[in-house]
Amino acid sequence: MDVAPPKHLGELFMGFLWIGARSFGGVLPWAYRTMVEERRWLTHADFTETVGLCQFLPGPNIGNASIVLGKRWFGLAGSIVAFLGLMALPFVWVLALFVVYNDFASLPAVNAIVTGVGAAGAGLFIGTALKLGKVLARKPAALALIVACFLCAAVARLSLLYIVPVAFLVALYAARKDWL
Amino acid sequence: MTLLELALYFGLLSLISVGGMPAVMPELQRYVVDVKGWLTPGEFLQAFAVGQAAPGPNILIASLIGWKVAGIPGAIVALAAICGPAAVIAWWVAELWERFKDSPWRKAIQKAISPIVVALILSSGVIIATPGAPDWRMWLIAGASAAAMLATKVNPLWMLGGGGVLGVLLL
Repeated sequence: MDVAPPKHLGELFMGFLWIGARSFGGVLPWAYRTMVEERRWLTHADFTETVGLCQFLPGPNIGNASIVLGKRWFGLAGSIVAFLGLMALPFVWVLALFVVYNDFASLPAVNAIVTGVGAAGAGLFIGTALKLGKVLARKPAALALIVACFLCAAVARLSLLYIVPVAFLVALYAARKDWL
Repeated sequence: MTLLELALYFGLLSLISVGGMPAVMPELQRYVVDVKGWLTPGEFLQAFAVGQAAPGPNILIASLIGWKVAGIPGAIVALAAICGPAAVIAWWVAELWERFKDSPWRKAIQKAISPIVVALILSSGVIIATPGAPDWRMWLIAGASAAAMLATKVNPLWMLGGGGVLGVLLL
């Protein structure tokens, strides 16, 4: 398959704007459709690898992908343009939606809908965690780590600013011992 | 002062946001609701719901919190702060990471991060579904949505819509 990176910053901006504009229900599938299938900026394998890397970096993964790809194609200007393109419309829309919502928040029905949507969104996180965790939890050390972090974060409500660094060092030790 | 506080705290959060927004939700909720009292548990849940239902990266919930706390400047500062430090890391690390493709340390880091991210995403789900006292109706909606996601491959917007319908019927 022939792939060609965007030719100028304007094209890069419009591509990411288009991803952000229609990314209902999650950005990742739309990023794939726009960049790999429609505009053919990069190959499937390249996309998968870039996003895979971004998942191991802090920050939103497509946000990071916009930084990494923008840099690859146009340097610093590319990173900034791609990131702003991605965030511009969703930023405006989420605030607009919130303003509209706040106008109607006193209506019990609206409140019930939004609370239900929130609970369903929480369910999507639980589903994602179960899906990702199923494979990992076959190793006892990984399962123990998951349970311990969950207890600290969700039950004891300790700050992640303590949990994450400590858990990471423990996990790194376990990984080097080949327990994970 | 509040803007500075937002910037510093969200900037710090940015550095540990491995796995994206879902992974830092427990911390965000703890700080914004429990420690600072900027939002009530119900308001936090609603901000989360709006962030999920709107298109775009779900990190945008940061801008909703910023907006609640300090208006439009708060929204911009919060979003910039939660993305900025992570973006700088992505900018520097991406090539380095490629170069160490076969390093045992790179593989160890990947393996170490995965279980932590899973635990944090699970914690997020449970915490968000329990905004006040435990409520079986909230857990029922969350459980149904999780089950639908695991059983099918439809766009998650259907689950959010279903949650809205169940919300009207149950809540």
